[in-house]
Amino acid sequence: MDALRDINLDIEQGDIYGIIGMSGAGKSTLVRCINFLEKPTAGQVIIDGKDLAKLSSKELRTLRREVSMIFQQFNLLQQRDVRGNIAYPMELSGKSKAYIKKRTDELLEVVGLTERQHNYPSQLSGGQQQRVAIARALASDPKIILCDEATSALDPTTTTAILNLLRQINRDMGITIVIITHEMSVVETTCTHVAIIDQGTLAESGKVEDIFSHPESEAARKLIFRKSGAAAPKLGERTIRVVFDGAGADEPIISNLVMECGVMVNITAANTRTINGQVFGEMVLQLPEEAAQQEKAIYYLKTHGVKVNDVSDLSGKDLSEPSEDDEGGDR
Amino acid sequence: MPMAKMIPLLWNGIKDTMYMTMTSTLFAYLIGLPLAILLVLTSPKGLRPRPILYRILDIVVNVFRSVPFIILMILVIPITRAIAGKAYGSTATVVPLVIAAAPYVARMIESSLLEVNPGVIEAAQSMGSSTWQIIYKVIIPEARASLLVGATISIGTILGYSAMSGAVGGGGLGQIAIQYGYQRYQTDILIVTVILLIILMQIFQLLGMWISRKLDKRIRE
Repeated sequence: MDALRDINLDIEQGDIYGIIGMSGAGKSTLVRCINFLEKPTAGQVIIDGKDLAKLSSKELRTLRREVSMIFQQFNLLQQRDVRGNIAYPMELSGKSKAYIKKRTDELLEVVGLTERQHNYPSQLSGGQQQRVAIARALASDPKIILCDEATSALDPTTTTAILNLLRQINRDMGITIVIITHEMSVVETTCTHVAIIDQGTLAESGKVEDIFSHPESEAARKLIFRKSGAAAPKLGERTIRVVFDGAGADEPIISNLVMECGVMVNITAANTRTINGQVFGEMVLQLPEEAAQQEKAIYYLKTHGVKVNDVSDLSGKDLSEPSEDDEGGDR
Repeated sequence: MPMAKMIPLLWNGIKDTMYMTMTSTLFAYLIGLPLAILLVLTSPKGLRPRPILYRILDIVVNVFRSVPFIILMILVIPITRAIAGKAYGSTATVVPLVIAAAPYVARMIESSLLEVNPGVIEAAQSMGSSTWQIIYKVIIPEARASLLVGATISIGTILGYSAMSGAVGGGGLGQIAIQYGYQRYQTDILIVTVILLIILMQIFQLLGMWISRKLDKRIRE
């Protein structure tokens, strides 16, 4: 059996590309294919025009210096202090002592660990260890950083801080970042693009805001709706999820729906989420039992610029008109 | 036995025992370390899997480990004679000691090296380390505390072997214990040599564990 099949992804320079999926979906294997820690049995991995399968092992090692990686369990050298860990990749590429010292100082500055430079990993918190790992990842001046569940072992506050650091690195240094995660919130807050991996295949990929407001695949719907916070709907009830972006937020759509159509809806969950700096509102509505009233409400919402997904069975049959922002679908 | 005769006899015994133990440990590590690295690298889950070579090395190590030391000493007498020129005395005993200890040491080192977190090795690979760099910059330094514990245990075992060699012509405290204590019924000497062996073992043990703790940075201070 193949761990991964039919995965075609183009990641552009400067992207923060999220790869999301449930545990066991194959996302960790996928990220290891990008730097050839796992060699795919078929297919190609091309970085900067170089086909990794065609490189000699020496060329592959050189290329790996341009593709750094950080891990869920940090994987720092336990017997080296912070400075020693950051220095490691520079020792590999044979940099001078003076260069290593100067660069280590700079990187300690970037990740904010200057006063911890002589500590050993066992003396640091998880967040601090991940900062060391990020500094180590930057030490080889990479073009790409791969993050394998880099925040999954961290508490929410530390997760936010680490994600902010990654965004800052992406913005200031132009480094492409690939983030493997099972948490939708990581993708929403941090990524520009997302690929959803389900049972070893690519379910859907594209810009995060497109997929968030207009998920097409079953896997995407599950990941997104699960986070909407709606309790599992009772059998036979019709529940919909509506998503509106900042543009429509000044219009009281739900009030108007009730007033103009006379349809009573029950709001079971409501939320705003910031995706790539753009504010999205989402609401989970329980509709009246009568079918005509349901259709009326859905029609009203669709014609007033909000995206509507049926989440009655969490299969999320899409009720929106096919919209023009579909071009993200094949990325 | 009068003290005046006993002290120089025992002092020479200690010197011989130390000489045999330390020299044998040194050579056992010179053979055992590369052997252990080869075992770790070529194992099916290693960095350079070579299943057939691994299988062969594995069996060879097991074979040597299976032969009781006292029998091995007799078996390898021709080799001992070829290398040391004679089959008795402290220097000659080093030969069978090394042959017995090297596979033992290899197993100790192998188990220490296998303790290194595979995630750290994967990280080193992801950074573009060569296999050799992973061995000498990652695996061995990361395993150093465990390697020292292993060395301490190995020295203890070799010390024990060296005493055993006294039965078939080896030198040192073991020979004194057997010659005077067992064959001539001089119980006082027997007891003193045993006490000396216990003290030596304690010194090695305490020293080894102390250095190991000093070197291990995993422990929170």
